[in-house]
Amino acid sequence: MKRFLLALLLASGTAHAHKPSDSYLALTAEGRELRGQWDIALRDLEYAIGLDADGDGAITWGELRKKQSEIAAYAFARFSLRDCRIRPGPMLVDEHTDGAYAVLQFTAECGEALPQRLELEYSLFADLDPTHRGLLRAQFGGQTVTGVLGPDRPRLSLDAEGRTRLEQFLDYAREGVWHIWIGFDHVLFLLSLLLPAVLSAPRFAPAFWEVFRVVTAFTVAHSITLALAALSVVSLPSRLVESAIAASVVLAALNNLYPVVQRGRWLVAFTFGLIHGFGFASVLTELGLPKESLLLALVGFNLGVEAGQLCIVAVFLPLAYALRHTWIYRRVVFVGGSALIVVIAALWMIERVFNLKLGLW
Amino acid sequence: MKQFTAAVLLGGCWALGALAAPYVPRDDSTVLERLPMRRSDPVAAELRQLRGADLARRNFELAMAQGDPRYVGYAEAALRKADNDPPAEVLFVRGLLKQYRHDFDGALADLEGASKLAPEHIGAHAWRAAVFMVRAEYAAAREECRALEPLASELLATGCRAAVDGATGKARAAYDELKAALDARPDAAAEIRLWTLTRLAEFAERFGEPSLAERHFREALALGVRDDFLLAAYADFLLEQKRPQEVGTLLKKWGQSDNLLLRVALAAKAQNLPEALKHAQALGERFAAAGLRGERLHLAEEARYLLDLKGEPKAALAAASENWKAQREPRDAAVLLEAALAAGERKAAAPALRWLYESGFEDARLLRLAAKLR
Repeated sequence: MKRFLLALLLASGTAHAHKPSDSYLALTAEGRELRGQWDIALRDLEYAIGLDADGDGAITWGELRKKQSEIAAYAFARFSLRDCRIRPGPMLVDEHTDGAYAVLQFTAECGEALPQRLELEYSLFADLDPTHRGLLRAQFGGQTVTGVLGPDRPRLSLDAEGRTRLEQFLDYAREGVWHIWIGFDHVLFLLSLLLPAVLSAPRFAPAFWEVFRVVTAFTVAHSITLALAALSVVSLPSRLVESAIAASVVLAALNNLYPVVQRGRWLVAFTFGLIHGFGFASVLTELGLPKESLLLALVGFNLGVEAGQLCIVAVFLPLAYALRHTWIYRRVVFVGGSALIVVIAALWMIERVFNLKLGLW
Repeated sequence: MKQFTAAVLLGGCWALGALAAPYVPRDDSTVLERLPMRRSDPVAAELRQLRGADLARRNFELAMAQGDPRYVGYAEAALRKADNDPPAEVLFVRGLLKQYRHDFDGALADLEGASKLAPEHIGAHAWRAAVFMVRAEYAAAREECRALEPLASELLATGCRAAVDGATGKARAAYDELKAALDARPDAAAEIRLWTLTRLAEFAERFGEPSLAERHFREALALGVRDDFLLAAYADFLLEQKRPQEVGTLLKKWGQSDNLLLRVALAAKAQNLPEALKHAQALGERFAAAGLRGERLHLAEEARYLLDLKGEPKAALAAASENWKAQREPRDAAVLLEAALAAGERKAAAPALRWLYESGFEDARLLRLAAKLR
């Protein structure tokens, strides 16, 4: 009887708002593999398999750790990626707004290359809590896809091909532009080579052609290595590549202060451009390269890089040309700027060579 | 100097980001999570015993009392195992779960089905009354109260009537009647006393006697029963009375539900406390997470958050208007009126104003708001 009364008594709570059970599933395409992170609430795991060994109402790291393999077995029996083999990695802990979560890291191998379509199956807690949802966020095929999985929707296909080829192409091109904009090392390298190009130019045309030669050489060189690396013909350790890129910036800027190479700057651009190409390639691989549209991604990304580069040149060249005789350009921009680039790039080089974090950028 | 400040700020942000990343706890004794109950808790033992509709109903009660929607999920799971030709009790609990999801039509149908199979079912009528109240369909609610009279106790039947009267311009009379009914039942269970005292406090607030409201809120809290709705109502009262510092103390222990977190954030903001930002951010994340699930069960709270914490009156108005389509309780009206005023879109307030004049609802704050909007 009392229970029935409670119904009316509690009726005023109709609009209560809270946090229902969610898991957070993140997938990132990385080269041929998928890297995954799956955050599952400890409260839900407690309800499903019991974590609180001593029954004191508190879950300790010790209690959780002892259940690690049981948790992995339980969870990965309820989540699968078609044609891929999931390998659980170490378990961590994270805080979400409604409490602590076990963070299951994993990798998924799907054969030679990532398939064009990922098919997910998800049934976590479907029997225990029909309101449970798995919130998916996947970076795949150069795009970020989100989705919701749950008892009502246990299957989800992610299609890299869901986007038209033009859209994919534009996605990669956008990434290319974006990368050159935030890739300060590439921008600084280019600027170091361009700063002196206008200095001794009597008219605009020679300055233009000097810049043209440098930019084209850089472009041709990094396109070659970008393609070679993306197609896995050549591969270099990323620490070496990143360190060499930083070194190339230091040398290019130093050359402005203590000129060694003056005539064939395009040759410098070409030589070091080869190294920068490997750097671009690592970005492209991180985006996840779809097997079927490899060429499309490669060309799109590369054209994006060029477009971004051209924007920089288009702003730089007229400005530098107009100012080239001023004291500001010769002393502050050229000498001061080059010196600053040397310092910044040297710090990068130290960071990258010794794998340190100096906190620059 | 500026650069130095910028560097320190950047460093700080980076450190914060690093803290938020997944980690390996330092040692085995680190407590990661506190569960709502120990294994030896009598409620836990009771839940282990129950099955089917009983288990579902118990879980639903826990969800309501603790403000924890996980119990709603467990309740749904318990019901799903029920058979195809559902008995009254299953229909009843299914109705409760539907109203929780704001499927009010479905809820009313299930509750009616339960009444048909079991005409003496008090809960079915009581909950139908409650759903009609949420929809501001007072005549229909009154009808259900009448159906309760021969079935339920004097206190419950009076409570049902008083709830309708209190929302339709007769708060004083509702208060007197309900107070008398409560005084006549000193043996009433704590949960029932709590509900009745909360209503009395609300009525007193409505007819402008805050000290009387305060007394009933305190009496209800002194019962020692955890009730999310009571805590939220008292927190709102304290905010309205410009006593935000007491909200923090009141809700310190219960940060779990969005409902209460919203009040904690509003109180922190009213005091200009630095943690206001943190709370607002946490709330924003919860709303975003609910959005990801495709759920917007807490539009009124979201509207309040957008209006008072984020300062986005247009977005708040959109949420409040959407909310008004489903829910028409006084607080739903309040946030709609305030958002319309802040967004400078008086027309959008029309449905709530109509409700205010048609119902005869007498709360001074709402009437002041309405006057500003005329």
